[in-house]
Amino acid sequence: MAETQLDDVRKVFTEDDGNEIVAVNDVSIDIEDGEFLVLVGPSGCGKSTTLRMIAGLESITDGEIRLDDRVINDLPAKERNIAMVFQSYALYPHMTVRENMAFGLEESTDLSDDEIATRVEETAEMMGIDPLLDRKPEELSGGQQQRVALGRAIVREPAVFLMDEPLSNLDAKLRAQMRTELQQLQEQLETTTVYVTHDQTEAMTMGDRIAILNDGELQQVGTPLECYHEPANAFVADFIGEPAMNFFDVTRRNADGDGAVLVGETLEYAVSNDITTAIGDRNELVLGVRPEDIDIQHSDGNPRRADGHTVPATVTVVEPTGDENIVYLDLGEDGSETAIVTIDGMSRIEAGDSVVAHIPEDAIHVFDGKTNEALHNRRVESSEPRAPNI
Amino acid sequence: MTDGGTTEERSTLRRWLDSDIVQSSPFWLPPFLLMGFFVYAAIGWNLLLSLTEYSGFGDPDYSNLGLHNYRAMLDDPGMWAATRNTFVLLVGFTVVCLIVGLLLALLLDREIRFSRSFRTIYLLPFALSFIVTAQFWRWMYNVNNGIVNQFIGLFGIGPYNWLGSPKLVLGSVIFALVWQFSGYTMIIYLAALRSIPNDQYEAARVDGASTVRMYWRVIVPQLRPAMVSATVTLVLFALKAFDFLYATFDGYRPRRGADILATKMVRESFGRSEWAYGSSIALMLFVLSLGVIAPYLYNQYKRGNL
Amino acid sequence: MSEQTITTEEAATEHETGGISIGRVGLYATLVGLVGFYLIPIESGLVTSIKTPTALQETFPFLPPAGSGITVEKWQIAFDYLAPGMVNSMLFTIPSTILCALLGSMAAYGLTLVDWRGQIAVLALFIAGIFVPYQAVIVPLFQFWSQYMQLGTRLSFLWGLPLLEPHYATILELIITHTAYGIPIVTLLFRSQYKTMSEEMIEAARLDGASVWRVYRRIVLPLSIPMFAVVFIFQFTQIWNEFLFSLTIIGSTNDPAASATLILSGLGQSLEGTDYPLRMAGAFITALPTLLVYVLFADKFAEGVQT
Repeated sequence: MAETQLDDVRKVFTEDDGNEIVAVNDVSIDIEDGEFLVLVGPSGCGKSTTLRMIAGLESITDGEIRLDDRVINDLPAKERNIAMVFQSYALYPHMTVRENMAFGLEESTDLSDDEIATRVEETAEMMGIDPLLDRKPEELSGGQQQRVALGRAIVREPAVFLMDEPLSNLDAKLRAQMRTELQQLQEQLETTTVYVTHDQTEAMTMGDRIAILNDGELQQVGTPLECYHEPANAFVADFIGEPAMNFFDVTRRNADGDGAVLVGETLEYAVSNDITTAIGDRNELVLGVRPEDIDIQHSDGNPRRADGHTVPATVTVVEPTGDENIVYLDLGEDGSETAIVTIDGMSRIEAGDSVVAHIPEDAIHVFDGKTNEALHNRRVESSEPRAPNI
Repeated sequence: MTDGGTTEERSTLRRWLDSDIVQSSPFWLPPFLLMGFFVYAAIGWNLLLSLTEYSGFGDPDYSNLGLHNYRAMLDDPGMWAATRNTFVLLVGFTVVCLIVGLLLALLLDREIRFSRSFRTIYLLPFALSFIVTAQFWRWMYNVNNGIVNQFIGLFGIGPYNWLGSPKLVLGSVIFALVWQFSGYTMIIYLAALRSIPNDQYEAARVDGASTVRMYWRVIVPQLRPAMVSATVTLVLFALKAFDFLYATFDGYRPRRGADILATKMVRESFGRSEWAYGSSIALMLFVLSLGVIAPYLYNQYKRGNL
Repeated sequence: MSEQTITTEEAATEHETGGISIGRVGLYATLVGLVGFYLIPIESGLVTSIKTPTALQETFPFLPPAGSGITVEKWQIAFDYLAPGMVNSMLFTIPSTILCALLGSMAAYGLTLVDWRGQIAVLALFIAGIFVPYQAVIVPLFQFWSQYMQLGTRLSFLWGLPLLEPHYATILELIITHTAYGIPIVTLLFRSQYKTMSEEMIEAARLDGASVWRVYRRIVLPLSIPMFAVVFIFQFTQIWNEFLFSLTIIGSTNDPAASATLILSGLGQSLEGTDYPLRMAGAFITALPTLLVYVLFADKFAEGVQT
C-alpha cells in the first residue's frame, strides 16, 4: 500500500543514429494510496513507457518517481516491491501454476516453504484457480492464464500493482467480466494500482481516476466523469467517449447586443454572454458537442423554433445497437459537414430523412482552435451527473 | 547535508554495480575472454610473427620486424599456383554446391513421403569427418578398380587417374566436396522454403503460374538471404579446406594442381618450419575471409539480424 | 500445407497412371537415385572393409564379397590401431562439448536477455569468431602451447597420481582449444533461441525479485534444455571430426594423445601401397560415434546446422 508520485518524469530514447525521441515528456501524477489509476492514450503515447519506469524496467531520463516519499529512480526493479501483470501474461512456461505463483515469494522474501505454500493456496482460492495449481500454463485457457498472472501478482502483496493492458488478449465477453472482477478485487485489496490501456471504455469503467496521455504529454488527470464532461482540451474530449464528440471549426462573429455567433461551414450558432467571456478575443475556435446531446426531429413534423441552435440535416446512415441508434448526419444544405448523434432505440428515423438537429447551448464545449485547450465546458448539474455514454 | 558527497558517490557506485553491463558481465565476459584470447589475440600474434624471420626451432626474434615475408610471397611461384587453385576451388565448389543444394531442397519441398529420411541421407556426408570422407573418395577415385572409373567405363570412357593428374585433381576434389556439402546447402534452403507462407504458393497458383514458373518467379527470389548465408559458409570453407586434402594426399603436400593457400600455409609452417612465412600466408587467408565476413556481418546488422 | 495444394493440382494437370502421376514417379526416381549418389561412397567403403585381398581384386567395389571373401581381420587391425585414439578423442570431445555449451549459453544470455549499450559490438566479435579460419591462429596456438604453456612440464606433479598420465596434458590443451573455438557458434545457436524468448517473461521474473543470475538459473536454463540437446549433438560431431588442431597440437600419430582422426590419417600407409580395406574399416570405426549420434538425432543435428 503506497502513495506513488511522478514528478516531471521524462524519458528520452536515443536511437542508433543519434536521434533523440522524447517518449514521455515531464509527466507529473500523484497517485494516492489505494487508488486505481488508469493511464490511457493511443498507442505510442508513452503510457507503457511510464509504467515501465515505475516498474524499474526502463531508466528515468529526468525527474523523480517516489514511492511513499522515497525516491526510487535508481532502485533496481527487484527491490521496488512492485508486481506487474503483462499483456502476454508472461507466465513461466516450464513451471506449474503453483510454482509460477511461488516464484516471486521465493525470490523476494525470506518466507519459509510452508508459509509460501499457504499463501499461494490462499490466493489461488480467492482467485478461484486452486483446481489449476498443478497444471502448466500451456494447459490453461487464455482466461485462466490471465487469472494466474493476476494471482501471481497478488500473492506477493506488493506496494503497487502495475498492469499493462492485461485484458487485451481476452475475447470481448470475458474482458467485460474480468473488468468487473478486477475492480472488485482492487477494492477488496486496496492496493495502489496503475493500469495501462488504450481502450477508453476500460479507462472509464475501471479507474478511480484516469490520466490521459498523448505524444508523451499528460493531457488531463481526473475522475472519469470529469474527463468526460470537463475535458481539458479537444484531444481528451475526442478520445473519451464513444462515439466520439462532434467537432466543428468555427469563427466568432459578434452579435448585435449580448453574446456572439459562432460561424462554421454549415453552422451559425448563437452563444450567450458567459461563453463569449470565456472565449475572450480568440477568433479561431472549435465547437464540440457529444452525440447524445444533439436532438433530432423530422423537419416536416413540428418545425422547431429557429433559436440559433438548430441546423437542417439529412440522415445518411442509421446503425441500430438495440437500446439506441447511432445516426450519421450530413449537415446543412450541401452536407459538407457531418455529425454523429445517438438517439433512443425506439425512435423512427431512417436514412434519407430530412431532419433538424438541435444543439442545446448548455451542452456545448468550446476549444481554442490553435491550442486545442478547452475554453468552455458544458454545464454539469452536480446533483445528478448525467451518465456518460461510452 | 554534510555527507552529501559520500552518499552521492555511494549511489553512483551502487548504480554502476546495478547496471546491466556489470550484472551481465559474469555471463559473457569469461567466454569472451577465453574466445577473445584464442581468436583475436592469436590473430594479432600471428600478424607479429609474420613480420619476423622465425623459422626452425627456438624462439622467434621480435626485435627485427619487416615485410620481407610478404615480399617473398610475390616471388614464390608456388604461391601463385596456390592462389589460383584456391579461387578455382572457391568459385567452382561454391557455385556447384549452391545449385545442387537448391535443386535438392526444391525436390524435397514438394510433399514427399519420407522426406525426412531423404533429408537425413543427403545430409549424412556432412556429419562425417573429412578424414573419413577422404578415405572413401580415395577408394572411389582409385585408378584400377575405383567406382568412378568403372562407372564411366560403362560408356567406354577412361580410366583416368583422377587424383594423380594435375588437370583432373582439382575437379575431382571439388566433386567430392560437393558430395559432402550439398546436403548442408539443402538444409539451409529448406529452412527458408518452409518459412515462406502457404498463401504465397496459393496466390501464385490462383494467378495461374505453372509449377516451374511459380518457383522461379515467386519462391526462389525469396531464398536470397538463405543463399547469402550459405555462400558465406561455403566460401569460408573453401578458403580453409585443409583436412580433406591432407587426408587425400597423405600429408602436407597435395598432388600438383591441388595445392591451395590453406595447405601451403600449414606445409610451410608445420612441414618446413618456416613459421614466419606460414604466418604471412595465414594472414592473407584471414584478410580474404574478412573480405567475406565483414560485409556479411554488416549487412546482417543493418537488417537487425544480429 | 502448401505442398498439398500443389500436389493435388499437379495431379490434375499431369497424366495420371492409376492415381500416381508420371511426374511424381519421376520425382521419386530422382530422389532415390540421389540416395544412391550420397550413399555409394559410404556403402562401397563398408563392403570393401570386409573383403579379403582376393575378393578385393575379383569383386566389384560396390558389391559385397561372397562367403569365402569375407574377413573381419581388417576391422580388428584397425580397431587395435584406433582404440587409444578413440579413447583420447572421447576424453577431449566430451568435456569441451559440455564446456562450450555452458559458456555459450551464458554468453548468449548475457548478450541477449540483458540489455546494455555496446552489446552489439561484443556480439559481432563473437559471431565473427565463427568464421575465422583456423589457419590464421594455428602458428601462435602451437607456439602458445608448446613454447609458453608447456602444460606437460607445469603439471608434472600430477602425473604421479593414479589414473593420470603425462599425455593428458595434451588432452587438456585440446579441451581448452576446442572450447575456445567452439564458443562463438554455440553462442550464436543459443542466441537464436533466446531472441525468441518472451521479454515480458524475463521482466516478470526480475520484478518478482530474481537477480540476473537467478533469472538465468531458474527461468532461462530450464527453458534451454532442448537447445542444449542440439548443441551437444552438433558440437560433439564438430569436435570429434576436427583434424587441424589434432595434427598441430598433438603432432604425431604415434603420440599417446593422438586422436582418432589423426591416427586414421596415417592408417594403412606402407611401401606396398595403400591398404584400402584397412582404411575403410578404420574410417568406419572413427566415424562410428558421429554416425551413431547422427542417425539417432538427425533432426537435432539439422537444427544445429540451420542456424
